[in-house]
Amino acid sequence: MVNLDASDSTIRDLNVQLKRLALKDEEARIKNPRAQHNIAVGILQHCRIHIEGSVGYYCASLLDGPEVSIDGNAGWALGENLMSGKIVLSKDAGASVGASMRGGEVVVGGNAGARAGISMKGGTLLVKGSTGFLTGFMMQKGRIIVCGDVGEAAGDSMYEGAIYVGGEVRSLGSDAVIQDVAEGELIELWETIDVLGLAEKPRFKKIVSAKRLYNFDSLERLEKTVI
Amino acid sequence: MCGVGGIMYKDSRSLGPASVGMDLVKMLDAMAHRGSDSTGITVAGEGISDDLIIRLWTGDTESSEEVMARAEDAIGQVGAAVTGRRSWGGGFLRLTVNYEGEVSRLAEALIGTPSVSLHSIGEVSEVVKDVGIASDMGAKHHLGDLKGTHGIGHVRMATESKVDINHAHPFWAFPFPDITVVHNGQLTNYHKMRRKYEDAGHRFQTGNDSELIAVYLADRLENGDELDIALRGSVEDLDGTFTYLVSTSEGMGCAKDRWAAKPLVTMETDDMVAIASEEVALRTVLSDEIDRVEPQEAEVMTWSI
Repeated sequence: MVNLDASDSTIRDLNVQLKRLALKDEEARIKNPRAQHNIAVGILQHCRIHIEGSVGYYCASLLDGPEVSIDGNAGWALGENLMSGKIVLSKDAGASVGASMRGGEVVVGGNAGARAGISMKGGTLLVKGSTGFLTGFMMQKGRIIVCGDVGEAAGDSMYEGAIYVGGEVRSLGSDAVIQDVAEGELIELWETIDVLGLAEKPRFKKIVSAKRLYNFDSLERLEKTVI
Repeated sequence: MCGVGGIMYKDSRSLGPASVGMDLVKMLDAMAHRGSDSTGITVAGEGISDDLIIRLWTGDTESSEEVMARAEDAIGQVGAAVTGRRSWGGGFLRLTVNYEGEVSRLAEALIGTPSVSLHSIGEVSEVVKDVGIASDMGAKHHLGDLKGTHGIGHVRMATESKVDINHAHPFWAFPFPDITVVHNGQLTNYHKMRRKYEDAGHRFQTGNDSELIAVYLADRLENGDELDIALRGSVEDLDGTFTYLVSTSEGMGCAKDRWAAKPLVTMETDDMVAIASEEVALRTVLSDEIDRVEPQEAEVMTWSI
């Protein structure tokens, strides 16, 4: 375990050190993050990073492989564009958690803000608490599991994938519908959320795309001339 | 982008004024990446006497002393007496005046004085704003000397209207004492709303959309609305993206638009409340142990002092 102090250097230098440690698959512990932005970004190997305190925007974004744990809150866009690996946050996440993620897992121990899982393209976003406005906006693949409530316009304009909601759905977004959850699927969900240690297992609702906005076979005039 | 911040010491009316000016400088400095065009703060609650506090800017020219003298003449002509005077380089002037008349008359007299830009008139609060970043401004304007019960501040990355001292936040709601606003976002029905308020007799001092929020709130408060009702109304009536903070003589509040497009986090203890665009600002005044709350879409919050 290598101990690093985020107040000792610039975040750019801290990230350079993390990348060097990742190449050797060495474990790192970061103290005093003080909610600064861009901590632990752009690491493309497996490694373990523990951050002791709150982080700012884009923490653990552009990752492919690392396991990152954060003991605190996160600002906007935690785990943006995650390709593989796992991010575990103990408290609340800001808006756009897991934006455009393509794989791996993001776990939020508290609540998440607006646009959780926006444009998600794979992987799992798991939130113990509730999420805000436009959860899963334009998501294309993967799954969002929210044990609490979701805000207004959930699943707006989603293409594929699923949003599972344990609590209330304040309102559905354009072209989003609620679908039954099969018993086997529910059991699998319960296994997934086991890590959260919830006292009660939620009866999840499932939000999917009704696909009424799909118009992929109607080409533009110019496109037709090309074909 | 822009950054907003606010702080209130809940017991400072009984315990004495707190280091609001210094706290706001620290919070805004931590958000310098959100905007470095200009910085400004409102500090409220000094209230040492019944005098009005006037903050104005006379332009950064060799003749600023003459302009200041003209401003003081104008104050005298409406029957107000200057009881305190302090000036800073760059043409900034702070006056305390003894005045029993209508504040609108005093304010009109000042903005009718050539080269005078009126930044605030308050019974308990004052606005200090300048171009540049918070740490430079804190030193130049001795913001550490400004103590009070609460205050709000802003770092600006300009998107609407020009970059100069007068277009820096906070915006004062002419001519209502102590109502000031800082805003992160863009209002898309600004021109329509401005015409409506101008037709009703309100005066705008700049071409900045954020000034509309100050005028809007002042109008509603003047018509008897409580602060939280006025804030809720603004979420319906203002179009565009916004997270804004308001400071009044009685407290402060915040409102977020229906799309939650702009960030805001709050932290509250038994003694104080701090709010800011980013947690990185709150960490300069509060320890890691305090939990934060993130207001969601269309949410408003208020705190009374």
